[in-house]
Amino acid sequence: MAVAVEAEQLVKRFTGRSGTVDAVRGVDLQVAEGEVFGFLGPNGAGKSTTVRMLTTLMTITSGSARVAGVDVTADPDAARRGIGVALQEAGLDPRQTGRELLILQARLFSFSASGAAERAEQLLELVDLVDAADRRIKGYSGGMKRRLDLASALVHQPQVLFLDEPTTGLDPASRLTVWDEMRRINAEGTTVFLTTQYLEEADQLCNRLAIIDDGLIVREGTPAELKAELRQRQSLDRDPTLDEVFLDATGRTRARVAGQVQEVL
Amino acid sequence: MTKFLALSRRGIVELLRAPESLFPAVFIPLFFFVVNVGQAGKIFPSGTPFLDGQPYAAFQLPAAILLAASFGSAALYLVEDIEGGYFDKLRATPVSRTAIVLGRLTAEAAKVAAIAAVLVLASLPFGVSIASGPLGLFLLLLLAASWAVVFSGFIQLIALKSRSAAATQSGSLVFFPLLFLTPNFVPRNLLTRPMEVAATFNPVTYILEALRSLILDDLAWATIGRGFAVVAVAGIAMVALNVRTIRSYD
Repeated sequence: MAVAVEAEQLVKRFTGRSGTVDAVRGVDLQVAEGEVFGFLGPNGAGKSTTVRMLTTLMTITSGSARVAGVDVTADPDAARRGIGVALQEAGLDPRQTGRELLILQARLFSFSASGAAERAEQLLELVDLVDAADRRIKGYSGGMKRRLDLASALVHQPQVLFLDEPTTGLDPASRLTVWDEMRRINAEGTTVFLTTQYLEEADQLCNRLAIIDDGLIVREGTPAELKAELRQRQSLDRDPTLDEVFLDATGRTRARVAGQVQEVL
Repeated sequence: MTKFLALSRRGIVELLRAPESLFPAVFIPLFFFVVNVGQAGKIFPSGTPFLDGQPYAAFQLPAAILLAASFGSAALYLVEDIEGGYFDKLRATPVSRTAIVLGRLTAEAAKVAAIAAVLVLASLPFGVSIASGPLGLFLLLLLAASWAVVFSGFIQLIALKSRSAAATQSGSLVFFPLLFLTPNFVPRNLLTRPMEVAATFNPVTYILEALRSLILDDLAWATIGRGFAVVAVAGIAMVALNVRTIRSYD
């Protein structure tokens, strides 16, 4: 099995005036090529921090990470060539048009001027933004911005696509569009590393999941394996939901989670 | 190089799409220029020895240009990029961190060169001429643009460290004491002793004097060279500090 993402004893420690915080406390991960891997956890559990370390956006305190076969600390530029990143905030420049943004992104990945224009056109068609391509991004809706962000992460046909809560704040229709895109991208061979707080999303899309809590991985497996393990351990007479797996893994009650994880009702 | 040019182009387009941000950078220096010349023009008629036959407006023009170069909007756009997540998008690309820093600063330099040209044109009705000729005018615009790189680099550093628009904006106020601790109303040798000492230690003095010599004198290479040396050293330091900050940015 070829490995697309690998982390060993990944640690991130923040030191500030108010003291030291260990946001990630020794994460081990392996994501196989071609998988859709779900990374779940409550707010503040260390999901985004882990993703930022894996995508070269944050320094690693200790441990190591390899993405697309490259050590992210030793050769960050080579790692960047192999990954696409769409973070929690759709990272877009509101003063550019959609087309300009994609062309610039392609130029930054060493496309020629004509190659960049061609790739931008392909991606605009792919995410259904041709009509809005020459409008400034500040006028785009949330769903359009999210699709454009996704397109910009795909400019260089990355081996691994990191999506950090890509559907947060989207209406149900836009969310389904993003899901379809994710499935299509994965079907073309791209490994998808997805962080989400929507457990239904993880259940629908992911081949395998890891749940992180307080900076440590507390569960890992396929959705079916995780449910079966809980059913057996608690001697349930039915298959539990992924919500129940999540609550069990993070030691939270429904009442406690209500304020933290909007989707767990 | 292509990536650097692509980022510079983006910076210039960004400035052109927010023309309202250019207004204070033109209007406020012009306002101070007119007011200062109006207040002190009679005290220093064109026969005053340090004016070399030019009106006092020629002596005031460099201060207006330096002030214009210190309205760096690049850093505020950077804060917007940071807050909106686009800065992370750029950092996740295989682009040299120097190109990311210089892309914006080059756009800022181009903006200041254009504004300096407008200020020179605006000074012509006051009887100002560029004594060093076309080459001198080119050097004047180049020096103003280079100073913009230094100053915007400094403000950009505040933006990277603070990630706050308020802190970034107040950082730009640092320039005002620096500008007033220069020989901006009279030459250095006519300042009081404490002010002369302060001006001598203030690097902005040498840029102001270089700009002034390009307007009042023929090409005085020693003075011009000191001005360019100051911006070169400060510019290298600012770019290096920016690149280092982006490399360790979490």
